[in-house]
Amino acid sequence: MASRNQGSAPRALVVEDIKVDCLILMHMLHKLNCEATAVENGKEAVDLFLERKTFDIVFSGKDMPIMSGPEAVAKIRTMGATEVKIIGVSADFGAQEAFMQAGADVFVPKPVKLETLQSMLEVVISKKNMSG
Amino acid sequence: MKQGYLDEQFCQVEDLQDEASPNFAEEVATLFFKDSARLISNVEQALEKYPKDFNRWDAYMQQLEGSCSSIGASRMKSECMSFRDYCGQGNVEGCMRSFHKVKREHGALRQKLEAYFQLLRQAGPAGAATRPGM
Repeated sequence: MASRNQGSAPRALVVEDIKVDCLILMHMLHKLNCEATAVENGKEAVDLFLERKTFDIVFSGKDMPIMSGPEAVAKIRTMGATEVKIIGVSADFGAQEAFMQAGADVFVPKPVKLETLQSMLEVVISKKNMSG
Repeated sequence: MKQGYLDEQFCQVEDLQDEASPNFAEEVATLFFKDSARLISNVEQALEKYPKDFNRWDAYMQQLEGSCSSIGASRMKSECMSFRDYCGQGNVEGCMRSFHKVKREHGALRQKLEAYFQLLRQAGPAGAATRPGM
């Protein structure tokens, strides 16, 4: 994937409490040359944004302890993080509405395919290249 | 996969293996069994502590179903779905029966995968090209 900013890998945040799902997603992101960070619940994700950490793309599970994915997404958007691409990920198709209402950009059902991730990251990268 | 324990998703997980992570599939499987044991325990406790709380039972089982999807554990996933159907019907007996099946499939899958990875280790890199039926 070409990038005008050489060495500027997309920064991804994975918000997922199911360890096997997190492991697979993180591995895929590393294969796609992302700088990936993982947290175990929505509150930890929100805390990262409160610490002014920046991400290009966030993958969030739905049901997690302490704070759910949709709740975290809503808080992140309320904090003004409107540029970051947020992907809701769940085996529950009914989660799509909750994620989209919270402000997610896209919903992807589990299991996530490598090709799906790749096409999402290409959009993020081209957006980064355009904004410079 | 010929026996239906695992579906195409497991092949996708194996395809993620590379020189840097040659045992990725086994790593995923190990983590799956750790995670799924916890999730099964959650369901078991919910069945005991929250009688007829079908929403709660369903929510816990949904997490296990999602985990099964990620690794391609198709027979186990099918039993998870059956449990959730019974939750939707408010059928306690059906839930209990299908929960036992979930646990049984979990045990069977663990045995199959342990044997599979042992075979792969014995076969070495040359044998990894042919996947034993599962």
